[in-house]
Amino acid sequence: MKIFFGFIFLLRCLFSSDQIPGSNQSHPILIQGGTIHTVSEGSLEGSDLLFENGKIIAIGKNLRLSSETKIINAVGQHVFPGLISAASTIGLQEIGAVRATRDFAEVGDVNPNVRANVSYNPDSELIPVSRSNGILLALSVPRSGLISGTSSLMMLDGWTWEDATMKHPIGLHLFWPSMNVSKPHGGNKKEKKKPDTRLKSIQKIDDLIQNARAYLQLKDSKSPSFKHDLRLEGMLPAIMGEIPFFVHANEVRQIEAAVYWSERQNLKMVLVGGKDSWRVTQLLKEKEVPVIYTHVHSLPMRRYEAFDQPFITPLQLFKAGVKFCISNSESSFQTPHIRNLPYHAAKASSYGLPHNEALRSITLSTAEILGVSENVGSLEIGKDATFFISDGDILDIRTQINQAFIQGKSVDLSDRHKMLYSKYRKKYQQKGILK
Amino acid sequence: MPKHIILITFMTWFVLGQIKPPEGLRENSPGVWALDGGDIFIEPGNLKESATIIIRDGLIEKVGKNIDIPKDASIINMSGKTIYPGFIDSWVETSVNKRTLTLHDSHWNVKVQSGREMSRMYQPDKQKINSLQKLGFTTAHTVPDSGIFQGQTAVIQLDEEGTVLSSKIAQAIAYEVDGWGSKTYPNALLGVVALIRQTLIDADWYNSAIDQTESYPEFNEPLNRNGDLASLGHWIQSKKPFLFETNHELSALRSFNISNEFNLNVWLKGSGYEYRRISEIASAKPFVILPLNFPITPDISDPNQALSYTTAELKHWEMAPDNPAELIEYNIPMGFTSHGLDGKEFQNNLRRTVERSLSETDALAALTTIPAKHMGLGDRIGKIKAGYLANLTIVDGNYFKKKSELLSVWIGGKEVSIKPKYNVNPEGKWNLNIGERAYQLELKKTGKSYSGTIIQDTTKFKLSKIMVSGRFVSWMVTWDPTSSPSRFTGYLFTSTMEGTANDEQLKWSAVRSGETEKKEKKKTSETRTELSVLYPEGAYGWENPSLEEKTVLVQNATIWTCDKQGVLKGYDILFKKGKISKISKNIKPSRKAMVIDGKGKHVTPGLIDCHSHSAAFSINEGTQSVTAEVRIQDVINSDDIAIYRELAGGLTMANILHGSANTIGGQNAVIKLRWGSSPGQLLYSNAVKGIKFALGENVKQSNWGDKHTTRYPQTRMGVEQLLRDAFTSAVEYKNEWRDYQNSPKKWKKKVPPKRDLELEALVEILEGERQIHCHSYRQDEILMLTRVAEDFGFTIGTFQHILEGYKVADRLKQHGAHASTFSDWWAYKYEVIDAIPYNGALMTDVGVNVSFNSDSGELARRMNTEAAKGVKYGGLSEEEALKLVTLNPAIQLGIDQWVGSLEKGKDADFVIWSEHPMSPTAVCEQTWIDGIQYFSLEQDREFRKRDKELRENLMGKILKVGGDKKGKEWKHKEEESTKHIHCQEEF
Repeated sequence: MKIFFGFIFLLRCLFSSDQIPGSNQSHPILIQGGTIHTVSEGSLEGSDLLFENGKIIAIGKNLRLSSETKIINAVGQHVFPGLISAASTIGLQEIGAVRATRDFAEVGDVNPNVRANVSYNPDSELIPVSRSNGILLALSVPRSGLISGTSSLMMLDGWTWEDATMKHPIGLHLFWPSMNVSKPHGGNKKEKKKPDTRLKSIQKIDDLIQNARAYLQLKDSKSPSFKHDLRLEGMLPAIMGEIPFFVHANEVRQIEAAVYWSERQNLKMVLVGGKDSWRVTQLLKEKEVPVIYTHVHSLPMRRYEAFDQPFITPLQLFKAGVKFCISNSESSFQTPHIRNLPYHAAKASSYGLPHNEALRSITLSTAEILGVSENVGSLEIGKDATFFISDGDILDIRTQINQAFIQGKSVDLSDRHKMLYSKYRKKYQQKGILK
Repeated sequence: MPKHIILITFMTWFVLGQIKPPEGLRENSPGVWALDGGDIFIEPGNLKESATIIIRDGLIEKVGKNIDIPKDASIINMSGKTIYPGFIDSWVETSVNKRTLTLHDSHWNVKVQSGREMSRMYQPDKQKINSLQKLGFTTAHTVPDSGIFQGQTAVIQLDEEGTVLSSKIAQAIAYEVDGWGSKTYPNALLGVVALIRQTLIDADWYNSAIDQTESYPEFNEPLNRNGDLASLGHWIQSKKPFLFETNHELSALRSFNISNEFNLNVWLKGSGYEYRRISEIASAKPFVILPLNFPITPDISDPNQALSYTTAELKHWEMAPDNPAELIEYNIPMGFTSHGLDGKEFQNNLRRTVERSLSETDALAALTTIPAKHMGLGDRIGKIKAGYLANLTIVDGNYFKKKSELLSVWIGGKEVSIKPKYNVNPEGKWNLNIGERAYQLELKKTGKSYSGTIIQDTTKFKLSKIMVSGRFVSWMVTWDPTSSPSRFTGYLFTSTMEGTANDEQLKWSAVRSGETEKKEKKKTSETRTELSVLYPEGAYGWENPSLEEKTVLVQNATIWTCDKQGVLKGYDILFKKGKISKISKNIKPSRKAMVIDGKGKHVTPGLIDCHSHSAAFSINEGTQSVTAEVRIQDVINSDDIAIYRELAGGLTMANILHGSANTIGGQNAVIKLRWGSSPGQLLYSNAVKGIKFALGENVKQSNWGDKHTTRYPQTRMGVEQLLRDAFTSAVEYKNEWRDYQNSPKKWKKKVPPKRDLELEALVEILEGERQIHCHSYRQDEILMLTRVAEDFGFTIGTFQHILEGYKVADRLKQHGAHASTFSDWWAYKYEVIDAIPYNGALMTDVGVNVSFNSDSGELARRMNTEAAKGVKYGGLSEEEALKLVTLNPAIQLGIDQWVGSLEKGKDADFVIWSEHPMSPTAVCEQTWIDGIQYFSLEQDREFRKRDKELRENLMGKILKVGGDKKGKEWKHKEEESTKHIHCQEEF
């Protein structure tokens, strides 16, 4: 046992990042002369952005400044709102293959009561690496079974998980069961057509909703029969419509089933995944189901589908008027790589999605779908000063990020990768191989 | 073989058959028959109408028209019947699993059972024999049902005794893959092929070794006996057939490769997909045993369910029934098998194929003369001729058409009735008398049940509970709803029937008066498909498999040469005869040249992925820690859609590597993405031979779960020792061979060394002919491998992944190894906790040749933007960064002389981009290999349009025919294998 805890302790040390969280904004700061990509109001060249106490207070030219305003010269630079990853297990995992560092999957099929942010490790090495490329906000999502828990929108800086939580809960996550009807195929003589299990799996979800509603009724009516049940309690915010169900579904039959289910149950729904969403854009539009599309960097689902289908799906959603945003893949394997989020949008853009829309799909659209657009997602007066400064278009891989602020706090943009890079450059400098 | 010898052999069998003393009374059934007046197929295409067959003691004595019938023969009237030579089922599996003996001289691998003889293992199974007889089969080619080398097949009579006509027909080989769950070698397809190859070599060696030990016992240790190798060696030498069981047209091509390598006589058990690569299959001239396993009509009434069918699957539904005719057109000899089909499915499918496209003569030949000839029994079975076995299939009508009925089969002169001969069909109109009163009776049959009415004047009474069993009939009729029904029972004669009603109180009789009018169900007859094969079959396939190389001039483009010339703006580039012909300004186009306006466009060399697992059926033979003998080139899947998708991202070449499940993995294959070609044509032979090695967590099974803790090694320390052990044994192996070659005198009386493909591959490494591509992460293990290599005197080719390469870049440079890494992956397992995206740039700065690879069929489609990460992380110039996915991997694979940059004389492998290839909005517009356009956005649009129509037409046709609830669908292996693995993920 001692050895075991020793091991955990060791990992804890290893995975405690060296970056120091930013302190509260103590004086107004002006970002001067850059191109301000407001997202909501287009891009303003040679403009200034002023923020104070963590909020944007002015955008434009020749702004009035108080004497204590600090000025950051951004001439030739670009200012973007912080990018938002809408699907990850950030903070809940360190090393995918090491079980001790995985905290995103609780045991059992039904875990509506578990909350992502309480086990978010603010010292995870993945966090500074992600924010280094402008990902300043990320949705941390439990992933297991049927109902995995509630997700939290995390600011990628802070001393504790409480500091880092931007908003909780964001959604109750439901991993929609497979809607495949198995078809027999050759080889095994005795293979029979398997029974259609679709209704059964939906019934399971319906039973849970019914129980949760009954539980709510007992509770509301202060019934003497009422007894606490944490799982059912966990269902209540979604049942009462305070947060949507985030339904993870990809195949067309899953999507259809989930949309009709949410309508029948009169529940708010956000579709996560949505690989086949392009096949049902009309339905999604009509039922006003927003989509967190996570499959730009994935292969077409079927052999005969177009090679660029994953790239053009966002364009198809856009043209059909479906509310959507683009996210990195939700697989836990990809969580260390969410820094590549802008390149998902870029790929959609190269296959037709307008550049503005591509940028919006990883900022403001995401904020809208996550229910936080009042505070983040664009550069507007009154919103959080959560943004970064870069030397070019953030959709372009070659672009470098110079500075970032989360709610006005300056973010330490160093990370494990940069530190190791400079450490080993030193090795070769010592040896006289590099200058 | 002269005829009398055959007769003697036959008689020998006959006598042997009577060795067992009789129990009780002897049985001696009469054996002399004259089947008179039937229409007799002497052989396919030769019909004698109203002829006679004389059978004596199991053999045909005589056959012909108007022949004298011997006095001792009993005559059976066959007029109106068709008599075929008894059918041969060319593939009947007999279960041998439980009867596998582990003899002392068995092969070490339980899947090598080449010594197994079906003639000795065969046990007649009444039920199975019966079901085959019902289809008209009298003889079967019986094969074992398990193993890789499965054993020696035999031809048997389908009689109760299981008379063996001939043994040792063919050595059956199957690509039996147990899958990842199995811990015994081999569990993957590439291991299976490797085992086949090594076993064939061993067999060859074994017999000479035995001779040597027996001739010179004083010079040699006694050799362990191995019956399986002994019989296999003999098999190869005597050019006896090897029968490969295939499940895929590409597995047929693979079988030919193996056969060519060892100069084997090749037979195939077909897959039903031969039409997809028919000309390649025809060129090997195999005898093919064909199943008639046509897919059932898929149920696509639910459009979402319909999505699960690939275009190739839908096409197969339409094209499979014409597969046999395709073989005939290409002169491929074939026999049929009913294997895998239930009940009448075989006969129904055969009738379909005949209705559509196969001639009856060819169909009959495939059931008789062709298999008989190939199995060496061409003068004993398959024809109705004097001296042949009296094996006959007797049909009322034409076997190949609907409505004919199989009456009986004769096997070795004995009749087996299939349908009771004396049954009478009661269907029709009858004049019925009940007691004294006259009625009309009408009986109809629909499916298996009867309906009927009795008509009295104009009143109709419906019959109920009609039973017809042989010649017995019974029914009930209600004359009056208030009284109980009358019950009838009776006996059928040909045109009369009679019986009693109501407990024998009442006698009735009936005389046939006419036929019932039957409404013919009009089923449209099937016709041959009008579709043709695409290359590869399915969506995005080419109509023509041999694409033409063009003279192409791209004008006024930005050209990324990836050589000393750097980036040239506003230049022209000319490609001719598959090579780069000229790069300069203002090249004048020849008349033949295809001119592409390059304004605003960028031209780069074709991108090269130095670590891929696309286009392979099988990746990991992970059962042993050393599997240097397995070869990716044995399992190339040229139909993998990944090829097309990667072309669409500007990729032209890929290094297809074995997985990282074991320390010394298998041999790689460098391919060009020549979409539509066959596996062999994808291989790029200029590449330096390579092999996959792996270090760290995967090979010590760290993340495989608690059940995997016993395979050596389990630590990095053990990995090093394993490597040293492998190379030490390779050195010894090499020395032994050198000694053998240099001192023939010394070895004259000794057993020669045995070729070992595993060690041979390691020797090639020692000699610098094969380079190692080593999966690696941590600096300690990277350093370790360079030291091991230096101790054994060779250099590592590339370190793959090498995510801590930046820590020991100086050492890499000093050793001379290249590095092929990920742009920015990290944190998926413990050994990559220190991975950084600056790895590529830092190693480059120190002077190591670096490439970025994908290890993923998805990432491989956007290597241009992967290269841009070299600019972002560590500040490489854009030119240098592009080399990470062009020239540098070419250098790493030893092919930079031909590809990797745009220089005069190099291969015309290039990509046209819509704009700067690293810009976020760049799109690959065209991809060319050897001057052939394999991808363009325009062509892609045409494919989509064509494929959409194709799907719609097929769906329309399927919906017209209506879904079929019975039967099975047949899933093609290729379509199942599109799942992609990369060696980072746990297996």
